[in-house]
Formats: sequence, C-alpha cells, structure tokens
Amino acid sequence: MSEGHRSRFAVALSRRRFIAGGIGLPLAFGPGLASGSPLPMLRFGLTPVFLNNDIQLLDALKVYLEAATGHSVELVTRRTYQEVTSLLVSGQLDAAWICGYPYIQYRDELELVAIPVWNGKPTYQSYLIVAAGREAETILDLRGDIHAFSDPDSNSGFLVTRMLMFEHGLVPDDFFRKTLFTYGHRNVIRAVASNLAQSGSVDGYVWEVMLELEPELVSQTRVLRRSKWLGFPPIATSRAMAGTAKTRVLQKALIEMAANPQGREVLDLLRLTGFEMPEESAFDGIADMVARLRGVL
Amino acid sequence: MTGRIAFRRLPLIWRVPLAVSVLMFLISAVITERVLDRLGSIQETYLQSIANSYLDGVTASISPSVLREDSWEIFDALERLRPVNTAIVPLETIVTTPSRVILAATDPLEYPSLETMDDLQAERFPDRQIRIESDDGLAYLERDIVYQDTTIGRIYTIFDAGQLLAERRDVLSTLILTNAAFTVLLVLVGIITVRRMIRPMQTLENHMVEAAEGKATRIDVSLPAAGNSETRRLFMAYNSLLDADEERRELSTRLAEEEKLASLGRLSSVMAHEINNPLGGLLNAVDTLKKHGANAGVREASLDLLHRGLQGIGEVVRAALATYRPARQSRPLSLSDFHDARMLLSPELRSRGQVLELVLENSEILACGCPAGPVRQAVINLLLNASAASPEGADLFLRAARVEDGVIVEVGDRGPGLPAKAVRLLTGPARRNLPEGKGLGLWVVRQIIDEIGAGLELAARPGGGSIVRIRLGPGTVGEMGHAA
Repeated sequence: MSEGHRSRFAVALSRRRFIAGGIGLPLAFGPGLASGSPLPMLRFGLTPVFLNNDIQLLDALKVYLEAATGHSVELVTRRTYQEVTSLLVSGQLDAAWICGYPYIQYRDELELVAIPVWNGKPTYQSYLIVAAGREAETILDLRGDIHAFSDPDSNSGFLVTRMLMFEHGLVPDDFFRKTLFTYGHRNVIRAVASNLAQSGSVDGYVWEVMLELEPELVSQTRVLRRSKWLGFPPIATSRAMAGTAKTRVLQKALIEMAANPQGREVLDLLRLTGFEMPEESAFDGIADMVARLRGVL
Repeated sequence: MTGRIAFRRLPLIWRVPLAVSVLMFLISAVITERVLDRLGSIQETYLQSIANSYLDGVTASISPSVLREDSWEIFDALERLRPVNTAIVPLETIVTTPSRVILAATDPLEYPSLETMDDLQAERFPDRQIRIESDDGLAYLERDIVYQDTTIGRIYTIFDAGQLLAERRDVLSTLILTNAAFTVLLVLVGIITVRRMIRPMQTLENHMVEAAEGKATRIDVSLPAAGNSETRRLFMAYNSLLDADEERRELSTRLAEEEKLASLGRLSSVMAHEINNPLGGLLNAVDTLKKHGANAGVREASLDLLHRGLQGIGEVVRAALATYRPARQSRPLSLSDFHDARMLLSPELRSRGQVLELVLENSEILACGCPAGPVRQAVINLLLNASAASPEGADLFLRAARVEDGVIVEVGDRGPGLPAKAVRLLTGPARRNLPEGKGLGLWVVRQIIDEIGAGLELAARPGGGSIVRIRLGPGTVGEMGHAA
C-alpha cells in the first residue's frame, strides 16, 4: 500500500490482484484458488445500523468494495450485534461494522480499521425518543412505559439509556413496565411511532437520517433527550487479521471512499462524510460507561 | 275489501297492467331475497377462507414470539404479514395471552400492549365462525393460538367487509333496476295489448251511447279497426239490431198513418151521414122549386132552405179538408181550428146525445205560432177519446186560453178517469213502439206532443171526469207534417 494509490481502479485492481496472487494464497483458501485465479473472498460484516433491508445500499457498498479492494466481497448481515461480533471475534469475518459498545467489550481481541465521519465529526449521539405529541421532559416522566431498546449490545440503543438510569438510580425492570429489544434502530422508531412502545432508545445518527428518508414515520416521534457525543460505530477487524494485506486494502478503500465517485454514492446513501483513520480515544466515553456499569449489567 | 271493490271498478285497461305489475313485484321480491341470501352465504364462505388463510399464516409465524411474549416480534410479524394485494384486508389484528392480556396489535393506540381486552371488545368476536356486521361493514373472527396442543394465546381479527357489502348493494340495485325495467315493459305491453283487445268494445260503446242520444249510426265493419272475425260478428249483430229498430219505427209510422186514415174513415161515414141528412131536404126543395118555382113565397123559402143546407155541407167539407191538408200547406194554429174540431165531432156527439162546450179565452191573441195540423189532429183524437169515454148525454168541453208564455188547450170528459195504461202512455217515458191492442189514438197524441215539444198534463175534472191539458210553449216547434 505504501507505493501510494492510483486514482484509477482498473490499474489498482490489476496491481492488487498481482499482489494477492503473490502473497495471499497460503491462508485459508482451498485448491479452487490456484495461481492466476481471483483474490480470496473478503467477508465484511454489517450490524443492522439502520437501513437493514436496504438492498440498494448493500449492492452499492459491495460493488464499491469489490472495485476498490479487488477482492470479491461478501456482505454478512445478522439479526443481532452479538452474532456479528461473535463472527468477527472468531475470525469468520475479515472485518465488520460494529457498534462502539461491543468494540469496548472485546477491545483486546479487536483492532480498529476505520471510523465513519458524520457531519465532519467521527461522533454521534444516542436519542431518547417518545411519541410526537407526548408531554414528557425527562426520563423520569417515562415511568411505567413500555420501552423499546434496539439491541442489548448497542451503545446508543441500550447502553446510554441504561447509564442514564443508573445515574438516576433507576432499575429498568422496575421503572419500565416492560422493555423490548427490536434489534434495529429503525424498529425502535417504528415501535414508538406506532405506540407499541411509549419510549425508545435510538441511534441519533439513524434518527436524523431517517427523518430525511422517512419523514412521515420519524415525525411521529420526538427526541426527549440527546446524549453527549460518543464515538461513531467503527469498522473493526479481529486482532489476528489486523495488518494483513486484505485488511489494509479494505482500510484504504474505506479511507479513500470520499475521493471516489462510486464511493461518494455509497456515502451519500449513508449520509456520511467519509471514513478516517481511527483513534482509540474516540471510544473513551463508551469505555467509561462500561467501566461504571461493570457489575450492574 | 274496499280495495278489492276499488280494483274491480278500475277500467280493464288499468286492471290488467296493475295485476301484472303486482305479480312482477312479488316475483322480483322473492328472486331478490333468494339471490341476496345466496350471495351472502357465498361471501361469508369466501371471507372465512380468506380469514383462515391469513390467520394460518399469522399463527404459524408468531407462535414462537407468543411463547416468549415478545411484543415487538409479534407486532413486526403482523405488519409484515398484512396482505396488500387483496380487496379484503384485515383492519385490526390483536394478539393476546390466553387470559386476554394484549401482547401486540396492529394498532397499539387502540389496543395497548399489556392491557386486558375488555369483555365488550371480546364479545364482538364469535369463536371461529366469521360474522359480518352489516351496520359497520366489519367482520369479526377469533382464533386460539395452539402450540403443542396447548393454547398459548388468542388472535382476534377484524376484517373490512365493506367491499362485500358494497357488492351486495350493487347486486340489489341491479336487481331492482332490472326488475323495475321489466315490470314497466310488461305493464306497457299489458296496456297496449288490452287497449287493442278492447278497442272494438269501445267502438261498440260509442255507437250505443250515440244511439241512446238518438243519433244511431251503423258501424263500418269494412274498416281495419273492426278487428277479428269475432268483433266483426258483434258489429254486424249491432248493425242488424239497428236495422230491426229502424224497420219497427217505419212500421209504427205506417200504422199511425193507417190509424189516421181509420179515424178519417170513421169521420167520413159520419160526414156522409151529415151530408146525406140535409140532402133529402135539399132534393125536396129542388122538386118544390121545379113545381112551384113561380110562386115567389115558395121560391124564397126553398132557396133559403137550399142555401142553409149547402152551407152546412160546405162547412163539413171545409173542416175535413183542413184537417187532412197535406203537410206542405201547414199553417199556424188559429181559432178556426177549434171550431173545425167541434164541427167534425158534432155528428159523433149528437149520436151519443153529448154536448161539447167550446171556451175560447183571449181569443184575439190566441195565435202562438204552433203548427195547426198536428194540434188539430191531437185535439180531435182527444175529443174522440173523451166522447167515447163519457156516458151518453155527458157535457164535454174544449178550452183554449192564452197564458203568459204560450197557449193551453184543455179537453174535459165525464168518463171514469183514464186507465193506468193510458196515463202511462201519455205521461210516462217516451215510447217509439206501438202499444198492443187499443189506445192507438192516445199513442198518436203522445207522438205529436213529443215531436212538437209540447207539454202534457192530466187533471181530475170537478164533478167527475178527467182533463187532458196540452201546453204549447215557446219551445214548441213548427211545421210538423209527417207524424200526424
């Protein structure tokens, strides 16, 4: 990678293919990948960040990553964060876009690859949302609600609210009448909008983007509380895979995404500015919460 | 009862179409009821099968979530399983625990999770068998969610059956419109048919009404309107009836003429007697003149006798001539007509020793413009009748007087009073036919009175007998010739 990048994918592709043909084969792939055959499959995991059923986005991302890395790319999605994290930690995925909370949980086994930039910053917030017409000011007004969380391994969709309750000395099972896990930020918004749940914890980035994409649904909810700014869900790889050529081409593809027209399309769909090199300190806020809640969860 | 009478009073032309429309209405009501009933059961079967397949899918999909009481999963499944490509869509689906605690519903605002469905809500759902409420167009269905032979929850569904009800309404309005159109068509056909059928009857009725008004005309059977052979025979029968009536009338007229001649015959014999009586004296006088004509005294006396005798004969002849003058020489009534009547009657009266008093009041202005001939004939007939009815030596009278608006002529007798038959003949309803037996004279009087438009009254005469009074008014027509 240090030879510098070429702006044209065709050239880049042929070069990477060459490199891969030289060094990439001894790893995990069988006899099908003989000399001169395509580079090994790149398995990229996605947590249901928001548009978990957006085929268009998945297609665009796959096409870009294949073009930019030269690998054929398999996008792996699972229903829960837990499943994706497990696959990543166990080495069954080359990389995955996970949440900051599992990253902190498995920090020793994971390595950051890139961090998304939203509105120019690599941070986002967690929102506490209620139905649009509801009169409530603080979380204390939500007593007796059915509350929708996104995922027990989600920072914005669980951890932040859990921390807030901890600070108020509240226990979820007592304070709320019932809690639901919808396994998707979009589902949290749906649950609150339909009144199945009276309140929910949701990714602020997802809520804002969806307000633009599905204003009719999202405008049925309103934000009761915004958390402090926290590290945006990063792209991580397992420690074993870190530093491999495959990881490095992936990292480069992500970092250069904003400079590439095809990559720009993907970023537009995601409403992101781009990706940048990660800094460990970005997740200090989450790490702090995990530390304070240790023994409680 | 009154309705039935009113119906029977309706003309045939309305009765038949009305009966047709009532029949059509009954038939279409029965058909409509049957069709809608059948449609209703087909629709319910259809709805039931749709509901069953929907609930089968939902139940299979949500059973694990119901076991875990995972409201979100149930809600998400209900949203995903909501049929979109069918006209019959579930409006609401509610999933509860066996104790009716709501786990999730398609509309959580209406059916909040963890609330208990109240009895009122649950009662609307008949178990398993779908039911369409026709007032709101909704269909309700309840189903148990059974997992490994255990009821783990219940599912309630409300379907919008509005389209099925709209279909029923469409069918109903189509049936009503079609049946109404058919009824109107059949009623029109009925009216036209009946009108065609009874048209010959109307023709007959019109002719009969005309005949009753005295303007009978024959029906032209050669016209196409005469219809089929049946009605043609009917018309021909009517025409022959008219012909027979006409013949009878002609016969009556002829008989009246004969009666006039008969009375003339009777009078003629009397007149012959009248002429014959003085004739012997006159011949004697002529002989006397022949023998003793030179004697002035004898000559004077004989000539005088001859003069009086001839004068008497002359008067008898003149009166007879006046009575039987042809119609074209008819003239207005005058006083001389009454004198003539007495003259003509005098031999008859004398033979019965009867006296006729002639009373002519206001004689100067008696003339009323009435035709002389018919009145003379009527008066003579009345006098002949009066004489015949009165005993010998009776006093009769003939009175004529001017009244305000015409002339009154009275004939009085000393008879026992007119028999009922004669009274009916004179004052009863008009009869054109000849009476049987006697009384031809009075019948002729009646014909004359009717034809000249005069009035006729009967009265009792003080001291016994009757009075027949003829009123000749302004309405009396002149110039009557043929009847009398």
